[in-house]
Amino acid sequence: MEQDPRPRPLTFFRIPLDSPATAMSLAMPPVPHKDDLDSTWSFLEAGIESVMLNLDSGIDMKTYMGLYTAVHNFCTSQKAVASGQGLQGQRGGWFSSLHAAPSASRFELTWTQAHLLGEELYKLLGEYLSCHLSKVFKQSQSHTEEGLLGFYIREWYRYTTAAKYVNHLFRYLNRHWVKREIDEGKKNVYDVYTLHLVKWKGDFFEKVHEKVMDAVLNLIEKQRNGETIEQSQIKSIVDSFVSLGLDENDSSKSTLDVYRQYFQLPFIRATKTYYENESRQFVAENSVVEYMKKAEARLEEEKLRVGLYLHPDVTKSLTDTCLSVLVTAHSTLLRDEFQVLLDNERQEDLARMYRLLSRIKDGLDPLRTTFENHVRRAGLAAVEKVASEGETLEPKLYVDALLQVHTRYQSLVDEAFNGEAEFVRSLDNACREFVNRNRICKTSSSKSPELLAKYTDSLLKKGSKSAEESELEEMLVQIMTVFKYIEDKDVFQKFYSKNLAKRLVHVSSVSDDAETSMISKLKEACGFEYTNKLQRMFQDMQISKDLNNNYKVWQDKVLDDDDRKRMTDAHFQILGTGFWPLNAPTTPFLAPPEIVRTAELFQKFYFDKHSGRKLTWLWQLCKGEIKANYIKNAKVPYTFQVSTYQMGILLLFNEADTLTYEEIEKATTLATEILDPNLSILLKAKVLVASPEGAKPEPSTSFTLNYNFKNKKVKVNLNIQIKSEQKVEADDTHKTIEEDRKLLLQSAIVRIMKSRKKMKHVQLVQEVIQQVKSRFPPKIPDIKKNIEALMEKDYIERMDGDEISYIA
Amino acid sequence: MSSITLTSSDGVDISVERTTAERSVLIKNMLEDLGDSGEAIPIPNVNEAVLKKVIEWCEHHKHDPPSASDDDDNRRKTTDIDEWDQKFMQVDQEMLFEIILAANYLDIKALLDVGCKTVANMIKGKSPEEIRKTFNIQNDFTSEEEDQIRRENEWAEDR
Repeated sequence: MEQDPRPRPLTFFRIPLDSPATAMSLAMPPVPHKDDLDSTWSFLEAGIESVMLNLDSGIDMKTYMGLYTAVHNFCTSQKAVASGQGLQGQRGGWFSSLHAAPSASRFELTWTQAHLLGEELYKLLGEYLSCHLSKVFKQSQSHTEEGLLGFYIREWYRYTTAAKYVNHLFRYLNRHWVKREIDEGKKNVYDVYTLHLVKWKGDFFEKVHEKVMDAVLNLIEKQRNGETIEQSQIKSIVDSFVSLGLDENDSSKSTLDVYRQYFQLPFIRATKTYYENESRQFVAENSVVEYMKKAEARLEEEKLRVGLYLHPDVTKSLTDTCLSVLVTAHSTLLRDEFQVLLDNERQEDLARMYRLLSRIKDGLDPLRTTFENHVRRAGLAAVEKVASEGETLEPKLYVDALLQVHTRYQSLVDEAFNGEAEFVRSLDNACREFVNRNRICKTSSSKSPELLAKYTDSLLKKGSKSAEESELEEMLVQIMTVFKYIEDKDVFQKFYSKNLAKRLVHVSSVSDDAETSMISKLKEACGFEYTNKLQRMFQDMQISKDLNNNYKVWQDKVLDDDDRKRMTDAHFQILGTGFWPLNAPTTPFLAPPEIVRTAELFQKFYFDKHSGRKLTWLWQLCKGEIKANYIKNAKVPYTFQVSTYQMGILLLFNEADTLTYEEIEKATTLATEILDPNLSILLKAKVLVASPEGAKPEPSTSFTLNYNFKNKKVKVNLNIQIKSEQKVEADDTHKTIEEDRKLLLQSAIVRIMKSRKKMKHVQLVQEVIQQVKSRFPPKIPDIKKNIEALMEKDYIERMDGDEISYIA
Repeated sequence: MSSITLTSSDGVDISVERTTAERSVLIKNMLEDLGDSGEAIPIPNVNEAVLKKVIEWCEHHKHDPPSASDDDDNRRKTTDIDEWDQKFMQVDQEMLFEIILAANYLDIKALLDVGCKTVANMIKGKSPEEIRKTFNIQNDFTSEEEDQIRRENEWAEDR
């Protein structure tokens, strides 16, 4: 008694007593008796054989159903149960009620325990497949190369097609016996389709795969050599190899193991050898530029090859292999060519080199230094070229030279190096070098910011060659490009604010928009503090405008007609001393009474509004227009545009036609260094005539008003800046920069010490550098000097060791 | 809508819609493999009466979604049967077992399940004696055998 206590599903068997299928077979053996294994198998074998070999001629429904039924009937036959287990079907038959039913005589129903039938059929099927495949192998031996591939593919196709049929015909076996075996964890039992694959792999594939792969590899080599091949053959082989990858643990899943081992490995090996040989030979016979083209083409070709007939799984190892053989192996050779390509500006080839080397590990690093040095040299050479102009160097020429180099290599980085961040950094490093340290900057590193600021001024100042608005914006952007590299940003700030002050005071800006745009760019680059004063200057201008309007209203209220007649029409600007980089006049000046009256009235108005403020007249910046009513031949009286000083001189001639140098000097109290050049201008313009004729403005010369003055224009500008003034101004600016830097350093030191209280000397120096380097690169001795200075002033003191502490 | 002809084991031709017949995986696979030649399909293991009954079921269920995977636990564990199927299974025992056998042969899983569930419901809650009576089974165990079985299955008893 072998009762299995575990619950089992019921299995029903149906046994037809008379076989309704006798008329079914054609060339088939007689339909087997349900429990006769031999006859069942010979019936099935004949069927399978015709599916395997003659599927083309078709299979009819009767045969199909017959085969299925034979499998079903065998698996449900009772004898096999009995013989297998010695258990009588009748024993304990729960459904024996059927015996009693009227028509039950035709049926016998029983149940069984665990045992399911089919093992014999499964084994016989396996044996049949082995036998079939050994025949296939024999036939294969008469084929080689492409012939063998054709044979393999034909047989594979035929075999797998048949396998699908046989799998369906044996479905009953799959559903019951196979399923049970697999559920119970039996190894080496597969569904019938998988069994076919397992057999193919073991009995055929194992014997032929090397020969097949040799043929495949020869075919691929032919294609690499430029011949046309039957690609679909390789595709079919790949598919077959992939299909054979069965998961040992779960036959319903597949793996790529077989394909990887038998296809991918030899394929990669062959690829490596092929390209090793090819590249070695090609490099020996061709230029590097040609080689790069070849390598790139080959890489692309292999990438396409995957899509054409390989499994995508190969992509990575194929690419890696090709890169290693085609690029890494020749990377030194490629890099050696880099300088040559840079020198010749071979952008396309550089791009190609970049693409190739960027794909291998650390491929580009050595190029960066070369590139950086190259750009620096180019920058220095460009400056060298314009430096031959000497002192008179046009700021525009210099800035353009810098920009040109930057633009050229920026575009190279963008176009050829894909805008890669590391190359951008190399470019920045190189530009910073040649912008701050070049021939022009030899005397002083502040030369670059000075020239840049001057160039900016020339763009923002009203002039003959004013640029279009959009063009101007473009140029401002370019200025910022150079500005970014400038280390002495404080120098730029100094010159820029001087120039801005002049533009505002003289109302000579191209446009407010352009000024605002530039300031906001600087703010963006350097922060609020950097542009604070610039913005305040702007505000002052607006406030002055309102003030003048209010002044007019006030005048209307306060003045009577007589007063008004004696007033000069005037516009006033109030400039905050703290924000404007302007100084009081260097010369005494006795303003003409007309001006004094006007000025005093305004002062009265202003102090009413803001008592306690101090106003200083910046005569050197004032200007005005005077009408020359005395000139005879003019239909319309000439108007002279003059500085206040010139006005002071000319208005004296309302009282006399001729005045001596001494008289003028006394009346105006102007210093000679101001008086002389202004008189010269008036002489040169022939407003005044000197006597003796051609005499210089100096004591004992006398000046007479020229009643015969002539000019093409009605408005004559006499307010020309004096050359010597410009030079002095620039020198002054440089001087104040040193002073300012000292203050900046000291305030940084105090700020840091105030927050840290105690600090090591070395750390403090480092911190200071951090804080001020956005303005200028500080020198360590300067920092130390300023630390000493602050100690003397008792802001900080030296402690034990190397520590410094803050004195509250 | 194409229809095909099935020939029962007792030689009767029955015309049926192809989609209906394809509830049987056997027929579905065969039509897939051989194509529909218009030939009658022999069903050697099922007689007319049973085949008609099976077709009736297939007709009713032809729009059911394809049955879920083999291990659909929910479907297996429950013995609930939908109303139509319950009515459908109200046949004499012989026919019930014939339907089960045909479903197994024709590979109609859902029908096989319904059949087995019907039988299971007939067994549920009955004592061995009642079961024997229901299915007209002779008790051919000796009393020793019966004791042994009882001992072996003690763990499963309700207490």
